Amino acid sequence: MASDKELSDFLASVEKRAFKRTAYSVRDEDAALDIVQDAMIRLADKYADRPAAELPLLFQRILSNATMDWFRRRKVRSAVETNFSGFDGAGDEDFDLLELLETQDGSLGAEGADAEASRAQMLQVIEQEVALLPARQREAFLLRYWEELDVAETAAVMGCSEGSVKTHCSRAVHALAKALRAKGIAP
Amino acid sequence: MNHSRPLTPPFDAQALEARFALRVTARLSEQAQRQPHAIEERLRFARQQALERARARRRTAPVAATAPSVHAVGSTLALGDGGEPRDGWFQRAVAAALPLVVLLGGLALIHWNHAHAQIEAAAQIDAELLVDDLPPTAYSDPGFFEFLRKQQNP
Repeated sequence: MASDKELSDFLASVEKRAFKRTAYSVRDEDAALDIVQDAMIRLADKYADRPAAELPLLFQRILSNATMDWFRRRKVRSAVETNFSGFDGAGDEDFDLLELLETQDGSLGAEGADAEASRAQMLQVIEQEVALLPARQREAFLLRYWEELDVAETAAVMGCSEGSVKTHCSRAVHALAKALRAKGIAP
Repeated sequence: MNHSRPLTPPFDAQALEARFALRVTARLSEQAQRQPHAIEERLRFARQQALERARARRRTAPVAATAPSVHAVGSTLALGDGGEPRDGWFQRAVAAALPLVVLLGGLALIHWNHAHAQIEAAAQIDAELLVDDLPPTAYSDPGFFEFLRKQQNP
């Protein structure tokens, strides 16, 4: 059973990412805060007696369900489904990705006097591009690489196959690389 | 397409994707740490609410698990230790049905007593008629009733 401290530490460690991830989906900060609070309370109410190691996966599932519940309540499912449209062929963008990574390696640590302002702008653009990803791609990408779930866990949270998770993640990465390169940004 | 580069095996492509993705998520984490104070406070409040709920749940859970409960053992009742939480629904159902069972049992007992008293009264009348000197048919004879009336009013 997770102790109070374990539960508190877990929630503190995950709350900001959960808020941002939800805000990318619902595009409404107040609604995102409500959804995260709802997910936290559901976790505490139903699963506080579970071991601390089980909390991350349980919380991600609850948060995804709470977000879907919000969409259902708002009756904007059709708007969400339009975001599920496929990504047009990634083609041979592995090479573009490699080029992008090479330029990133060279640019690291090159911050100047007004670096803070430009860095804040860069972070904002990256965040916007992530928010613009199709919903399923964004969810797979964030669960896999931000929440650091493995492929099987991500598939369990998303309710899809592991192959779909890999496809969504790959497409998300290529879409982000293409969009960021077009704006001259190396994350 | 850049034809001067050799084709990379799939695992290389996956490694590149993962490397790029981790760079992006590192920037997202950096941005997530720059939340306005109001949002941080709201998240802290949500966390406190969740912890309160967890504490309340922990306080009530042991009581529910160990509370004494009434068990039906044959025709008697016994107190138990509550058993496992999954048995709770059965115990609650028994406890809820108990007053109804007692009421129905009481009604059945009253009915049985009433019927038994009627049978006993009828049997006593029959027995007295059979042991009497007069045959039972005498009570249906109008002349016998006239005889009795004259005996009482000579």
